[in-house]
Amino acid sequence: MLSILRNAFLGLTIRNTGYSDVLQNQLKVFSAGLKTYDIPPDYSDVVLPEKPKLKLLNKVPNFKKARKEMKRLRDIQGPAKGATAFSRGQYAIVALGGGYLHWGHLEMMRLTINRRMDPRTTFARWRINAPYKPITRKGLGQRMGGGKGAIDHYVTPVKCGRLIVEVGGRIELGEVEGVLSEVAKKLPFPAKVVSRESLEAMKQEHAEREANNQNPWTFKQIVQSNMLGLRKVVSPRDLHNHGRYTGKFFNPDRV
Amino acid sequence: MAATLCSRLFPRPGWLPLAQSIRHGSKAVTRHRKPVHILKKKLMAITEYIPPKPSAPPGALAPPTRKAEQESGLVKLLKKDLQTVFNECKMVAVVHNNATNSEDMLILKHRLHRHNISIKFFPHQVMRSFLAGSRYRNMEPLFIGQTALFVSKEPKVREMLQVLRGTPQMVLLGALIENTLLSQQGVVGYSRLPSLTSVQGELVSGLTMMTSQTVSMLQHHPAHLSALLQQHLKQQQTGGATEPAATEDAPKAEEAA
Repeated sequence: MLSILRNAFLGLTIRNTGYSDVLQNQLKVFSAGLKTYDIPPDYSDVVLPEKPKLKLLNKVPNFKKARKEMKRLRDIQGPAKGATAFSRGQYAIVALGGGYLHWGHLEMMRLTINRRMDPRTTFARWRINAPYKPITRKGLGQRMGGGKGAIDHYVTPVKCGRLIVEVGGRIELGEVEGVLSEVAKKLPFPAKVVSRESLEAMKQEHAEREANNQNPWTFKQIVQSNMLGLRKVVSPRDLHNHGRYTGKFFNPDRV
Repeated sequence: MAATLCSRLFPRPGWLPLAQSIRHGSKAVTRHRKPVHILKKKLMAITEYIPPKPSAPPGALAPPTRKAEQESGLVKLLKKDLQTVFNECKMVAVVHNNATNSEDMLILKHRLHRHNISIKFFPHQVMRSFLAGSRYRNMEPLFIGQTALFVSKEPKVREMLQVLRGTPQMVLLGALIENTLLSQQGVVGYSRLPSLTSVQGELVSGLTMMTSQTVSMLQHHPAHLSALLQQHLKQQQTGGATEPAATEDAPKAEEAA
């Protein structure tokens, strides 16, 4: 019984080396149970901040005199200018479209991330400001007219490509991806989880696509030279964005 | 009247209205996408990204250059071994090994060892690489499948065939005996040949018999001798007119007789 088991085990584990029968006896390589482990990443340069958790953000900014503003849709249109690159962390949520973050969204992110992260190895940082843009509403059951309504709440405008929250520390992506992606799909605009490498790869891929486009007709060339008077139907921002952004929306597959 | 009304109500396909009513003013709804102008749609469609043609895979253009394999130490050793086998042994027989079990193999080895014949196994890789460069390259087709070598320093063919008769699992394919490549039939024929000493004895006896015959002939009566010579002359004259080549051989044959 034992010998049968042993034979079966040998048959499973002997690696055939390609020599004929006699040589095989000398070239048995036992590979069962051998495992090569990856070298763990080096976290020697990671410094955790004093307070690793996300701060509570103010619901209302403390202005001396609250001013009603116009809608200014420009601050959610087009690509973000600031906070598009990593500052301290390794993983982040990046916005893939424009939109407004309410205080409720910020609380949801803060509570979820703070609850699920390990403060001894991980830290999280906001990359957005507390809500500062006033949104006005007229009261319920009020007749129209009579001027602009009162300030109802404040929001944070976010443009496409902006990082929302950064996470770093002595962790790998797999440990925080679950939390971050769970948070990212609750945001009011398309968002996804990126690491430093994957964000760089996204930019790299776009640059490559732009360089290797086989289409002789490009949006940039046609619009900038105003062929067939097409400037009449495209937005003035398309002169810079080349059709990648329409309002707050982002078209990632365009070059 | 009806025709004109219809033409006004249902414009022809491909006809763009000359004037369209456009509503101006800021529409602050950002919840959904705005309907896109047809010309912009066309522009977007014409300026779509076209990826570059994937280049041919690297194996498709250039023929695969096989990396020159560095011979391992074991292969070198086996080749050296093989070289000594071919140099020292007068008999190298190739047999097909048809699933011999270890018990039968042991018996076979024992039987062969009785006649100083040893059985050797070499990997085909080693065998082919050795044969390709040597003068035994005609043996290469013999090495297909499971093969073994019967080697001995003396050409003990008959003993080997006897042993093989007892083991039907081993099938003789061919042999190299005294630097001669023989097929299976050739090996059987070789085994039936008498031994070298007996052949030499026969030759010597034949040579001595000829001289003894001449001597006995010379000791006959001279009349008999002259009659023989006359007959020989006559044969030569008649045969010389027709076949000069045959006349050359005839006396020799007679003399030998």
